[in-house]
Amino acid sequence: MTTATYDAIVIGAGHNGLAAAATLARKGKSVCVIEKNNTAGGMARNTTLAGGIEVPEIAHLLYNLHPKVKKELGLGTSRAPLEVQELPAVSLSADGNHAVIRNGRAELPDGRPHPEAEPFAELMRRLTLFADLLGQLSTKSPPSLEGGLTSLETLTELAGLAKLGLDLKRMGKKDMREFLRVLLSNAYDLLLDDLEDGPLAGALAADAVHGAYAGPRSPGTVFSLMYRLGQGGGAQLPMGGMGAVSAAFEKAARAAGAEIRTGLGVARVLVEGDRAAGVVLEDGSELSARTVLSNTGPMPAMMLAGAEHYDTEMVRRMRNQRCKGAAAKVNLVLSGAPEFTGLSPKLAAGRLLIAPSATYVERAFNPAKYGELPENPVIEAVLPSLSDPAMTAGGQHVLSAVVSSVPYGLESGWDEAARSKLASVTLAALEKYAPGIGALVTEAQVLSPACIEARTGAPGGHWHHAEMGIDQILTVRPANGMAQYRFGPEGYYLCGAGAHPGGDVTGLAGRNSALQLLKDGVL
Amino acid sequence: MTKHVPIGLIETPFHARLEMLSTAKSWTNWAGFISPAALDTVEFEYFAIRNQCTLFDISPMHKYRITGPDALKVVNRLVTRNAAKLRDGRVGYVLWCDEEGMVIDDGTLFRFSETDFRLCCQEPMYTWLLDTAWGFDAEITDESHGIAALSLQGPTSFSLLQDAGLGAVADMKPFDWSEIEPDLWVSRTGFTGDLGYELWVPNEKALELWDRLWAAGGHWGLKAIGFEALNICRIEAGFIAAGFDFQPVHTAMRLGRGRSPLELGFAKMVDFTKGHFNGRRALLKQQQTGLRYHLRKIDIGGFKPADGALIYHKKKKEVGHVTSGVWSPTTKRNIALAEFKAPYAEGITDDLWAEVYVNEEGQWDRRLVPVSIEDKPFFIHSRARATPPRPF
Repeated sequence: MTTATYDAIVIGAGHNGLAAAATLARKGKSVCVIEKNNTAGGMARNTTLAGGIEVPEIAHLLYNLHPKVKKELGLGTSRAPLEVQELPAVSLSADGNHAVIRNGRAELPDGRPHPEAEPFAELMRRLTLFADLLGQLSTKSPPSLEGGLTSLETLTELAGLAKLGLDLKRMGKKDMREFLRVLLSNAYDLLLDDLEDGPLAGALAADAVHGAYAGPRSPGTVFSLMYRLGQGGGAQLPMGGMGAVSAAFEKAARAAGAEIRTGLGVARVLVEGDRAAGVVLEDGSELSARTVLSNTGPMPAMMLAGAEHYDTEMVRRMRNQRCKGAAAKVNLVLSGAPEFTGLSPKLAAGRLLIAPSATYVERAFNPAKYGELPENPVIEAVLPSLSDPAMTAGGQHVLSAVVSSVPYGLESGWDEAARSKLASVTLAALEKYAPGIGALVTEAQVLSPACIEARTGAPGGHWHHAEMGIDQILTVRPANGMAQYRFGPEGYYLCGAGAHPGGDVTGLAGRNSALQLLKDGVL
Repeated sequence: MTKHVPIGLIETPFHARLEMLSTAKSWTNWAGFISPAALDTVEFEYFAIRNQCTLFDISPMHKYRITGPDALKVVNRLVTRNAAKLRDGRVGYVLWCDEEGMVIDDGTLFRFSETDFRLCCQEPMYTWLLDTAWGFDAEITDESHGIAALSLQGPTSFSLLQDAGLGAVADMKPFDWSEIEPDLWVSRTGFTGDLGYELWVPNEKALELWDRLWAAGGHWGLKAIGFEALNICRIEAGFIAAGFDFQPVHTAMRLGRGRSPLELGFAKMVDFTKGHFNGRRALLKQQQTGLRYHLRKIDIGGFKPADGALIYHKKKKEVGHVTSGVWSPTTKRNIALAEFKAPYAEGITDDLWAEVYVNEEGQWDRRLVPVSIEDKPFFIHSRARATPPRPF
């Protein structure tokens, strides 16, 4: 049995765990990251299919990597190289009249402005303005205000809120009213106020519910759309697949001095005298540490420490967290480049969306409510090999597809038959826009939300570890009373997507958590 | 025969006997059961408690069984004191809190063994216990409608039990708990601060128990009583009552109505060293930042019961109020439990005054009467603790 003493142990080498580790290590703390899988990266890893072809296993695009995280960790520098390419979004239309969104502007495939370019630009202006406003809250712990007006901490929080209020006022009366009007409403109504119910509206509707157990008519989806637009709404393709992003985070953590140990499962978190004291590994050995950060979902983090260390109300809140994953992943190896009707090869390399209308997106979610597979799913597909030929050889290509509204709790259960049905539903949907694509498939990998849970530990296979609903964000993420990353026993912190500000490869949850830990003076 | 479905208050297993004895016809709602406020007159019943012996039907009490390998863990997670220190066959007074350290309810914990407890309390607690036990290997059973209980209290209660063939209770110390006969558990507990026992049987054996005690009772002045007489005794004994001296926090609608065990004066009942329990972190914090209130026993000048009276410091500043006030016939004092805003009644204990209104034949008079803080129960008698109990 080996025993080491660290300042902090991070459970889970997903990108948030690595961001937390790097942030702590940069402050001179001794940090050890423990990862159950054999490689770091969590949902942002590559997987190798037959013939040595690498595909992004789960996540495949970067939307929201935060500039602060990028700068602090040195991502994209020689310390942690990372190369990305901006991708236009292409919302496919069966008749070839696709809508292309590039740098926040709507175009037609031939480069002319989209007929709805103007209302779209105005809508985007408002939404990104609002998103920037909310974005102010993302780089800090959410305000708790529990100290009362005499505490310095509360006053600092209030100052932050005051700035938010001031910026809100500064937007002008019209925008401020609009912000307050739409904040809690649904994306469907908002989009169709200004746009025809076509591929352009469909693209935004799909973005509003990406990875969520919701349809665009669900309340709170305007908020999730704004969240998606947090860094402008563009998507970036990492060269070398998502694995390259994880590798950059990993390098940044190692460069800062963090130790990363993979292939080791954590059985439980040691708690002594209501303080986190280390972890017990699955092989029975113990690692002691002064603090522990968990990059797991909130409920698994609680169970690692043991429910007995939490108040009954908190256990209740964790048990009732909404975290039904609703996004599956289908990775296809193709023997050649597919042809999409009306798309140039250049646009085919973009972020392809099958979301021909907002109504289509809403309908796609309906079967999920009853534990069924969608017949006409919303798909976000990308062919990384078109932009990054190094990923494949011999003229082969890979298509990475996120299939939305696929329920974690499939009524018939997730077996081989269900997965192959999902593969055929996905292919049938793609076939409508790229006739003949089915014949090119040489291998298909299907990851249901249940598979994603099994591979990453994310509760319900949920992309964001917990639904990004209005009841589970900001000061109530992951739950009322736990929004400041402190997670029960002293020195135990939640640093994953289940914490503020939430999902996507932003690195913020991990970074904020580490900063809160340092601020709390538990080290 | 038509099926009768009770839609209002329901009867306890002893109701047939109580109904026959009730001359006052003064009934009250206790947890959905018909319970006597008084059966005869409050004065007769009160003096019977202190001088003879009395039977009070405590069947309406909520009773929960916590069983299984993790039963002790569940109990210790629930209550603020350390149930590991409670021996088998012992009873303990317990309080439990929400996550903010506010008292949800208080009650008595009966320990059969490390894997088997019974919790008795005023408030319905089934779902709370289920949630508390989540993740543990323990089962919660609601015994409220299966177990009947009688509280036999008063100086002649031991003598009565001897005559009823239950002399085996002689060795029982206060807070002991044992199965005296098959299906008859007896605890030396009560709400009067006097010698007394509580007897627990399955519902179907309830009337048999009543008749057995009643048959032995004539010689010992046995009297059935209602809540009002008992309430005088519990204030004399200095016991707090849910809904009077504190508001069970789950039933309080308004913010800030909850009180912590520390504020209710039960710091000794909070064991911060036993590991986590519900509200522990909040209570630790409160201990550091300071209490907001103090519940204290007080002696009030004069003889006018001061229930609900406001209390002033230096006759000017309002600093608290009486939560339970009564004239104590035995100690011949005007006594009460009162809640003070901190630091009054702990740091500042002098120059406190209660405001009493008196109606003198149609003319109201407002009087400020002196208040003094008491540490000990108002009624203390060695017979309450003597083991074996002295024959009367």
